[in-house]
Amino acid sequence: MSDAGTTVIAVASGKGGTGKTTVAAHLAIRGAREMPTVLVDLDVEAPDASGYFKGVRRSGDASEVSVLVPRLVEARCTGCGLCAKACRFGAILSIGGVVTIDPKVCKGCGSCVNACPAAALEEIPMTVGQTSSFDADGLAMLEGRMAIGDIRSTAVIEAAKKRAAESRAALQVRDCPPGVSCPATHAIEGADYVVLVAEPTEFSIHDLGAAARLARGRGIRAGVVINKDGFGDADVAGFCEREGIPVIGRIAFERERAASGAAAELWSDDAAISGEMDAILARALAAAGARTVGGRR
Amino acid sequence: MITVCVASGKGGAGKTSLSAAIAERLGPSCVFADCDVDAANGAIALGAKGTRSEPYFAGPGFEIDPAACTSCGACRAACRFGAIERANGSFRVVPELCERCGACLSRCPAEAIRTYEKQAGELLVSDSRLGMRIVHAELEPGEDTSGKLVAQVRGRAAELAGEDAVIVVDAPPGIGCPVIASITGCDLVVVVVEASASGVRDAARLVELVGSMRRRAMAIVNKSGLNQAMDDAARAMLKEAGIPVAGEIPFDPALRSVEESNRTWASLDGEAATRIRSALCAVDGAIGAFKEKR
Repeated sequence: MSDAGTTVIAVASGKGGTGKTTVAAHLAIRGAREMPTVLVDLDVEAPDASGYFKGVRRSGDASEVSVLVPRLVEARCTGCGLCAKACRFGAILSIGGVVTIDPKVCKGCGSCVNACPAAALEEIPMTVGQTSSFDADGLAMLEGRMAIGDIRSTAVIEAAKKRAAESRAALQVRDCPPGVSCPATHAIEGADYVVLVAEPTEFSIHDLGAAARLARGRGIRAGVVINKDGFGDADVAGFCEREGIPVIGRIAFERERAASGAAAELWSDDAAISGEMDAILARALAAAGARTVGGRR
Repeated sequence: MITVCVASGKGGAGKTSLSAAIAERLGPSCVFADCDVDAANGAIALGAKGTRSEPYFAGPGFEIDPAACTSCGACRAACRFGAIERANGSFRVVPELCERCGACLSRCPAEAIRTYEKQAGELLVSDSRLGMRIVHAELEPGEDTSGKLVAQVRGRAAELAGEDAVIVVDAPPGIGCPVIASITGCDLVVVVVEASASGVRDAARLVELVGSMRRRAMAIVNKSGLNQAMDDAARAMLKEAGIPVAGEIPFDPALRSVEESNRTWASLDGEAATRIRSALCAVDGAIGAFKEKR
């Protein structure tokens, strides 16, 4: 377990649109029946988990996420250009002793400030997104949301993770972004287990392989949920067997489920789904080394 | 050269299927640039063959020499990304979390931090079953420079494309760094709106981004007919944003199987096929208008 008493389950996929958010929301709902649970939406470029809860309302103030970006104090600048040299992101130009800063591409690392011999750079916070807490029909929820036009998704993801840790829930279910680059990496970092949601298509299998390698590379155990089972012919289970990744659940494709999913309606009344989600959660918790499995704390 | 970017905000909306169909319709003279570099499926959709690979280097990474490290912790204090962790009494850079800013290197009093070049993926050029060339890439899982790799994919595609050629860019999901790199400088953005609550919301965020980047856009609504209210929501969002709709494609499980049967959506029969052809025709018309203006 990450921290004393908290189990973190990250729901990821590689390919987008396989059903990460749907699975994460249902796992959190089922988990909340057994232990204090928080659903954490870390798909900060496209946060959609709150949309699944019809009575969702904010349960606190939105909190701005900012990074510290440099601002030039022209009176002190000697035009030496060391700040531009220190910046590896091309956010500072120094031409003929004139320094220009583009805060939009600054990652906020502070290297320029450290490099400036004249103390001519000060740091000011720049908003890159926000985190919000919700009461999602009784379920505690946190959401990270990157500002449109920004590129610093990882700062928003880390802020949401920090806020989730402060919630002290026994179970954190993270809805992760697609892909296997920095946003997905930050979203699974610190998790005890990764639930990889796949669909039976060649596209999904290709991307699942990359996501499994990402989890393995970070030393996090993973299992696969085959969503939209029967929708295609691609052999996800065979792939998992070859790769040595356990299949921990299956959700059968039905047109009605696709229709209600399109409208972001939960399948809470579907006993088959609830039973399968309970089984997936129990397997994930057992593999994560949680103290109790599907039982009461 | 005309560049058309297919993007959606939400993943799984049908970007790759549609961009492959647009490419098939344009024919062998177009170049397909698969910019979803960390979940690249364009090669599967178009039947890539004869793939040539070259290494992709993302720029220097940083590592700590445990023999030289005095365990003072200055690097860890300097790192604002939590990318330096304790390891066996010394410290270690976690490459997956490192932003490659070099703050650690400049603060280490023992000069125990050095840079290294590590291959972060592959840049690939392939021929395809349909004749057009595909530029694609495979980013190593956990690497952080997807935007830079997208720029390289686009650069290579521009080198391969003739003066009159069209480049079809298949963008990644989301609205972040690699998406901005995919859209930058494009003549036309085809926004694929999945007719679902999340599909419409995510597409609306993308539309706002496209507007702020002053790119021309048109939309294709995909997976319609599952839920009337969602179809209406997609249309209303696009109308409000002033984006013309090239067409609507109904949800049909049969469409998915063509991805695996060596066909794209451009060469189908049936009800969905007619709707797809009419959407592709509208996209073609927009591309043709650009060509005439040149």
